[in-house]
Amino acid sequence: MARRPTRKRNPKKKVSRRVNKTRKPKRPGKSARKSDNPVLKFLRRIPWRRLFLGGSLILIVYTVYLDFVVRGQFEDKRWALPAQVYARPLELYEGLSLKADNFERELNLLNYRYAYNPTEAGMFQRHGNVFYIVTRPFTFWDVKESSQTIEVAFSGGQISAIKNRRNKKELALLRLDPVLIGGIYPLKKEDRKLVSLNDVPELLPEILVAVEDRKFYDHYGVDPIAIARAFLANIRAGKSVQGGSTITQQLVKNFFLTNERSLWRKFNEIIMAVLLDWHYEKDDILQAYINEIYLGQDGARAIHGFGLASQYYFGKPIQQLNLNQLTSLVALIRGPSYYHPDKHADRLLARRNRILEGLLEQKVISADLLARTKGLPINVLKKRQTTSRRHPAFLDLVKRQLREFYPESKLSSDGLRIFTTMNPIVQLDVEQKVKERVARLAKQRGLGNKLQSAVVIANSTSAEVIAMVGDHNPRFAGFNRALDASRPIGSLIKPVVYLSALEKSDQYNWTTRIEDKSISLKAKDGSIWTPMNYDRKSHGSVTLITAMTKSYNQATVRLGLDIGFPAINATYRKLGGPKDLPPYPAILLGAQNLTPFEVTQIYQTLAASGFRSPLRSIREVLDVDDQPLRRYPIQVKQSINSDLVNVINSGLIQVTKQGTARSLLSRLPADLHVAGKTGTTNDTRDSWFAGFTGSHVGVVWLGTDDNLSTGLTGSSGALQLWGDIFSQINTTGLALEQSDGIDIEWVDPGTGLLSKAACGNSVQLAFIHGTAPTERGECLDSGSGIQERFDRTVEWIKRIFR
Amino acid sequence: MKWIISIVSAFVLFACATTKQASVEVPGEDPRHTVAPDRNTSSAVISLLEKARDATTQGDYERAEVLLERTVRIEPRNASLWHYLAKLRLHQSHYNDAIGLAQKSNNLARSNNHLKADNWRIIAHSKYQLGDVSGAQAAQMKAKNLGSQ
Repeated sequence: MARRPTRKRNPKKKVSRRVNKTRKPKRPGKSARKSDNPVLKFLRRIPWRRLFLGGSLILIVYTVYLDFVVRGQFEDKRWALPAQVYARPLELYEGLSLKADNFERELNLLNYRYAYNPTEAGMFQRHGNVFYIVTRPFTFWDVKESSQTIEVAFSGGQISAIKNRRNKKELALLRLDPVLIGGIYPLKKEDRKLVSLNDVPELLPEILVAVEDRKFYDHYGVDPIAIARAFLANIRAGKSVQGGSTITQQLVKNFFLTNERSLWRKFNEIIMAVLLDWHYEKDDILQAYINEIYLGQDGARAIHGFGLASQYYFGKPIQQLNLNQLTSLVALIRGPSYYHPDKHADRLLARRNRILEGLLEQKVISADLLARTKGLPINVLKKRQTTSRRHPAFLDLVKRQLREFYPESKLSSDGLRIFTTMNPIVQLDVEQKVKERVARLAKQRGLGNKLQSAVVIANSTSAEVIAMVGDHNPRFAGFNRALDASRPIGSLIKPVVYLSALEKSDQYNWTTRIEDKSISLKAKDGSIWTPMNYDRKSHGSVTLITAMTKSYNQATVRLGLDIGFPAINATYRKLGGPKDLPPYPAILLGAQNLTPFEVTQIYQTLAASGFRSPLRSIREVLDVDDQPLRRYPIQVKQSINSDLVNVINSGLIQVTKQGTARSLLSRLPADLHVAGKTGTTNDTRDSWFAGFTGSHVGVVWLGTDDNLSTGLTGSSGALQLWGDIFSQINTTGLALEQSDGIDIEWVDPGTGLLSKAACGNSVQLAFIHGTAPTERGECLDSGSGIQERFDRTVEWIKRIFR
Repeated sequence: MKWIISIVSAFVLFACATTKQASVEVPGEDPRHTVAPDRNTSSAVISLLEKARDATTQGDYERAEVLLERTVRIEPRNASLWHYLAKLRLHQSHYNDAIGLAQKSNNLARSNNHLKADNWRIIAHSKYQLGDVSGAQAAQMKAKNLGSQ
């Protein structure tokens, strides 16, 4: 049996980090050369021995070459350390809007373990709405957070108190460690967490030496007796049953050699082991071994070294492992799949116990300790932090934004620590909702598995992307539609057209009447373009607000032609449109292709009252030693007048109350005002909804990759998924901002006259100061409002019964 | 009591930044201008402001920036916090960023004319540094008008 599974190894590893402190190497090959000269003279007389001389020379040269390789590699030995990617850390403070259950989900994602009495970092307990937690220490850019024993109480969907559990003092703010959401791996997906020999429990080297190589501190890199013993055992068994490799040999095998089993390889291994031992301290070799050894597989990710294995299997730093856990990891060296802790728990347990007995024999542990440890189960984490297949769309965005500053090789080898903006709870909720809703709609429409989806959710002010999905199977790392599916945006363009009109506040306000009637235009190719409304009717003279909320195409085209392309393009670019719009009429109805991410950028500017911020997925990058490397600061740029944006937003709120998105009303809490726009393209090929609350902006796209007609409009498709998501996440309502620059009035969208809340279908809209209608509607003066009618009735009754 | 301490500490934080900033010779800058945090600022944010103050005192502006960004994530509608960020970016010579952040602060400042005037001063400084003298003068005028109100 193989001593340990070795895998093909590229001797020219990506190098990044120096771990071993090595003493200055001695001059190479001196001892070999020394014996040459007398022998040379003697040999010269005998011709056949010249061959031998030639052979020796070749051997010497070869040894010198190997020496060069060994020293070069070992001294420059830098492991390729994948970048570690973290979600945003959760900040806890009194008054934070957070459900207790979501808090528990976060703790579970962080691998905090439920314990009756939390004593160690990474443990928690929940009593109804109160949590007792021992937080983990964690180094951020700004502050090194230490471990704290705390008590967090929830009430009414909020944190009601955070206290230090020991002294009962209130804590103003507490930041948890962030959830690890993935890594950026080189082609060979080796992952490791480097540890120095000083950091590992003293027991670990002792166990390793006792189990793998008893004479490690005495031999010269190889142990001839062990090799002979293994040789005999193998002959007796008729096959390879014993290895006899020293720790040094195992390391050499891992560092420099392939998995090929041949005499030649063994020969190389022995020479290199001797050379390694000759040049370097035993402890350096042992430390390299501890970081190099292969200890498990997580999907495509290979778990190397005790530092990472300890985190992976037990969710703790290596310093905190006990005898049971350390021996279990050592037991894995022989074959992480043969002794797999889940699939072959019995094998692993048996091997651990054999190791424990061996440790007693060699007096590493006492009989008492053996007895106590032998009966213990090996509790590896049930849900291990698997990072290889999670959230591929979001990680894709992170990688792309990082690549602007770092080459791929640096990302996969320098052990960078990347702090992203992802909210893991929202991300998981979005993934869940995408799966459910897409499956449901695909079934309704008989689309099989063809119906695809992409979602982007961001904070509106900071423009931090908190969740992203690029496939109907959110775990599938393929085509990322959120970033790469460029599709016609349909009516999502309309707010740009209406905003351009409202900007000419002397000509247009929400109550200005425009014509919704058929129109024919010559298209670019000379054909005649005759846009239709969705209901195939023309609605005649309508107000601007009605045309937008009902998404009338003919009215919009006429309005757009009146304003002109340059003005519309200018607005589009100010809002964050990536390129100039081509000036042809179909653009007015959204013939422009954009990705969901690009649409999110445009709507972010609306959601942030005209303050455009580039959508970001990264906050900070630290290097492998926790030193600050690069920040991606919050940047805001006032790209368009805030008052004007508030005016258009007041109309977009009406879209969700009376317009094409009114079905949201029944799905969201009554006090959660949202603004948005539906979009549907020709033959229902694309179904869009872009919308925002007071704190978040979200864009949803549904369609198929081969442009099939889905039968889904923006309202019946994307809006439904948007509603699923926004009724789930924690968000605040959009409030109409009062300011000196605008007047907020109640108007009747049909007549365009002033009205009031009590009147039938009146709506509240914002107008640039001084441009609101002055003509009073009948309802306003006649007092035909319900309240007035009620009051008059009461008066009348009072009079009668006086 | 806590309030007084907080306000005093914030004063120190930004007084420090302002004093240094005043060495940039721009007409009309008054180093005594400081903005105290809004009355409704939570203790979570105050605790971060205190750390940001310490970081500024130690000359670690990047750390102060990270801390201030945490405050605006917690209270994105608190105009003073955006103002502090603007001031810090100005101090780091990131003039375009400073202008954007000061405008953001103004957008949220409602009737706080003292804060608005200070934001216009930041804009004036930044524009001056960017070589936009007439823009700087216009901003300075706005600051002056608001200050006299």
